[in-house]
Amino acid sequence: MTQDPTSREGRTGAGGGEAAGGQAELSIRPTFQHDQHLSKEKVFELKDINVFYGENLAVQDISLDIYKQQVTAMIGPSGCGKSTLLRCLNRMNDLIPSAKVTGQALYHGEDLYGPKVDPVQVRKLIGMVFQKPNPFPKSIYDNVAFGPRVLGMDGDMDEIVEKALRRSALWDEVKDRLETNAFGMSGGQQQRLCIARCIAVEPDTILMDEPCSALDPISTGKIEDLMMDMKRDFSIVIVTHNMQQAARVSDRTAFLMVELDATEQSRWGRLVEYDETQKIFTNPASSRTEDYVSGKVG
Amino acid sequence: MAERTRVYYEAELSELEGRALGGIDLVAETLGRTLEAVEHRDMELAQMVIADDDRIDGRYLEVHQSILALLATQAPVATDLRLIAALLHLIKSIERMGDQCVNIAKLLPLAGHEPPRDERMVRDLITMGKQVRSLLSQAKQAFSARDVDLARDLVRGDDVVDNLNRECFRAAIAFGDTVDRREWAMTMMLVARALERIGDNAVDIGEQTAFVVTGLFEEFEDASHPEPVEH
Repeated sequence: MTQDPTSREGRTGAGGGEAAGGQAELSIRPTFQHDQHLSKEKVFELKDINVFYGENLAVQDISLDIYKQQVTAMIGPSGCGKSTLLRCLNRMNDLIPSAKVTGQALYHGEDLYGPKVDPVQVRKLIGMVFQKPNPFPKSIYDNVAFGPRVLGMDGDMDEIVEKALRRSALWDEVKDRLETNAFGMSGGQQQRLCIARCIAVEPDTILMDEPCSALDPISTGKIEDLMMDMKRDFSIVIVTHNMQQAARVSDRTAFLMVELDATEQSRWGRLVEYDETQKIFTNPASSRTEDYVSGKVG
Repeated sequence: MAERTRVYYEAELSELEGRALGGIDLVAETLGRTLEAVEHRDMELAQMVIADDDRIDGRYLEVHQSILALLATQAPVATDLRLIAALLHLIKSIERMGDQCVNIAKLLPLAGHEPPRDERMVRDLITMGKQVRSLLSQAKQAFSARDVDLARDLVRGDDVVDNLNRECFRAAIAFGDTVDRREWAMTMMLVARALERIGDNAVDIGEQTAFVVTGLFEEFEDASHPEPVEH
């Protein structure tokens, strides 16, 4: 019987040559692969977290896990409680007299709000970088050395300061003017100084609350690069209004949304979706997430 | 009630999709002329098909440029991102289908002057071409309506095309007992092959429909591991 070369024709895959006729098929089926290299070790396990300011509910029933050496982004519109939730992670809300946190917040398996837990120690292990750079009115050196001195850290202070400045990608820019006032630095440098000040006390996790919103694009790019470098040593949680920033730097993204009661008098934040960032920005499960990340609902 | 934003961007994206899908209509029109040229050995019409490919190429360039502009300026994500990625595939398929029509048009003079022809094979070719044209219409409808079932159904129609392609092959072998007849039959086999490829491109568009809807890319037919064919 004559061989019929057309009897096994197949469709050539993308980029397949016409002449090859069926030999250039796609051998894999690309899907949104979850990153197998991401750490599975949990740093935080939040269960049913509610935060109240006085009688007002600020965030409701938040349950999520935050993983080691990952960048976790929290996004959502103003008033959705993302900063409130971030501040729960190092007990910053304790500083607000009317604030009350219910639910369970485990940090490396231990209750963060347990009676024997020292909030000062918590804030040493879980540092915070704020929206606006807030260096002390001191020299660059003294800014970085401040935390280690207060905590009485052992070791050569010069080495501690240099290490922190190197890890925050600032050393080369300031090594010759360590004794000058930090207020003479640019905004981007001041923010990196705040990061250096934060990591000088050897934290385990760094919380960042809109760290680039007061910075220009170049300084923002430097901080984002820095975050990618820093996640080798630290776990990072960032709150950002900039969705593209969340997409660029984070491994996982939590999307929070504002809920309103029937009278629209009370509003509080709820977690809508939490997943790997690639999933959130390519194929989110919730239509509310879809509308928000694509900027169609403000 | 949340206020909808980015209405201009949405309108721009919708218009882009319309321009891309309109490319399928251009191909369907060109394919119709190509089939007519094959059926009636109309060399003038074949020349028109070749010249008219500039319209399809122009549409490709226009849509491609708009896609780049949207990616650069609007940072689309989620469904919008999948749609734009799919449109990039779709417009490339459209451009390729236009080229297949040109290939056919260029083949016609090569079949010889007043060649011997097997009317049954010509009929099969025309039937095949009409089936492919119907697949194009179905692919457009499925993409437009985001109808994955209709998109998957393209495979069934493409199987009809593949069977006709095999029929043409058998007919060509049976017909080619002189040099002139072999020359004509081989040329017509290349025509059949080009039509079969257009059918495959229509199924590709169906696969992109499923990608836009589900976020997962899969081949409807695994041509690397095809089902055994009954002879």
